Amino acid sequence: MGAVIELDNVSTIYEGERIPSLHNITLSIDEGEFVAVIGPNGAGKTTLLETINGLLPATSGTVRVFGKNVKTHGLEIRKKIGYVIQNFEIDSLTPFLSKDVVMMGRTGRIGLLRFPNQRDWERVFSNMQLLGIEGFKDRAVGKLSGGEFQKVLIARALTQEPDVLLLDEPFANLDVSSRKRVSDLLTTLNIERSLTTVFVSHDINAIPEACTRTIVLDQGRIVCQGELETVLSSSIVQQLWQRGKKHD
Amino acid sequence: MIELPLILLITALLGSILAGLSCSTIGVFVVRMNLVSIGYCMSHAAFAGAAFGLLINVDPMFGAIVFSIATALFLGPLSEKAKLESNVVIGFLFSIMIAFAFIFLNMIPGNAATGAALSILWGSIFMINLNDLFLLVLLSFVMLLFFILFYKELTAMLFHRKLAEASGVNTKMFFFAILFFVGFTVSVSLKLVGGLLVFALIVNPTSTAYQLFFDFKKISLASPVIGVVSCLLGFLVSLEWNLPIGAAIVVVSSLIFAFSILFSPKRKKGKKPLFS
Repeated sequence: MGAVIELDNVSTIYEGERIPSLHNITLSIDEGEFVAVIGPNGAGKTTLLETINGLLPATSGTVRVFGKNVKTHGLEIRKKIGYVIQNFEIDSLTPFLSKDVVMMGRTGRIGLLRFPNQRDWERVFSNMQLLGIEGFKDRAVGKLSGGEFQKVLIARALTQEPDVLLLDEPFANLDVSSRKRVSDLLTTLNIERSLTTVFVSHDINAIPEACTRTIVLDQGRIVCQGELETVLSSSIVQQLWQRGKKHD
Repeated sequence: MIELPLILLITALLGSILAGLSCSTIGVFVVRMNLVSIGYCMSHAAFAGAAFGLLINVDPMFGAIVFSIATALFLGPLSEKAKLESNVVIGFLFSIMIAFAFIFLNMIPGNAATGAALSILWGSIFMINLNDLFLLVLLSFVMLLFFILFYKELTAMLFHRKLAEASGVNTKMFFFAILFFVGFTVSVSLKLVGGLLVFALIVNPTSTAYQLFFDFKKISLASPVIGVVSCLLGFLVSLEWNLPIGAAIVVVSSLIFAFSILFSPKRKKGKKPLFS
């Protein structure tokens, strides 16, 4: 299995900012790896995900996904990356049905000048069933609870049939049983389909069993990485947690 | 009631239907994408362009198209990347375009030209000719074809632009396509509805549809129907009571919108949607 995601000395600065949100990140993620990214607020976790999929262009360095430069092949690459966005709040009057929002994830895969067919809809309903949300497929997303909508977003990302899954706080708004359900699903997908997954969470307890590597970010830099238990017991991470407690 | 020659009547009637169809179709995207301010700016740019066209003795529609597309080219990137509050820039362009329009109108020699210019201001049944009809037909056809062929990309973008981009949709390309369609629609509908009111025909029918439906597919089908009905009724009112057609259409569409708010299922509790 080769590297699917490669960051080579990547820094990312938001427009209007002077300080990089990511500093000289060098990172390689192999096919089938399940990588968790943890760190305090403002560490650059979301920035890392959006630099990987090219939504946020890297200011310096090279980002390669599937062996291609994200800067020049971003559109093509993003068709194969499922992304669950963080803190997505919608208006209660948003006029889109749940099943249609899930289908939207497949837009890039289906391609221009083509229409969704039966197989596409089967994918949609199958993923909604996996997440236990098939019951409100015809309900407008604005009428869903936060947790229900979060599951719609996850189903959307899975319906894309991605080769890489980027998940930014996917368990936000989910109750305990839903978290378990989604966590088991992600583990199954990773093991059975070798789905490369990058999972961002500020909650260490939420990290699924399938996780093979944990990366700790702080102030835009990778400060530690390795197996979860090793990382959590490291002195660097202990200091981070202590720093966090002082600020609370 | 005004008596019209049959050919003029048919031309104006067809023009009303097509203007209603195209304006309210693009309105679905304008409202959802929060392009109302940009759209108002473009409609006033089209008005300024039409006035300039009259001044230099060129078809006002050509001037309208050039000015509104130029505004789209300027405002499009600005709305994407503005560090300055975009409403400030839009407010500036809005007022300067109106100022230019009135300057150009003032510079047009003779009463006839002024009459034509004022007709652009509030619309006129008599301004529509066969060329305009042809353009309206072409615009409506191209726009409908575009929206049907790229429906899934456009709705993904309308739901959430960033997520659409993350799924592999080239949202920038579609955003600019929408802006160009707004510019063309406004320019081509200018003669019938008038520069000051054309944008109401873009916003009102769609706003009505949003009041009545929860499903975007139904909204995008209902909006053109409401737009055509508004234009037809406005046309009849204009003929019956000798009113400027643009104003008549806008009053009718505004009344329809007001009724839709009263009967909107989005405000009712414990009741089934009006159209499910």
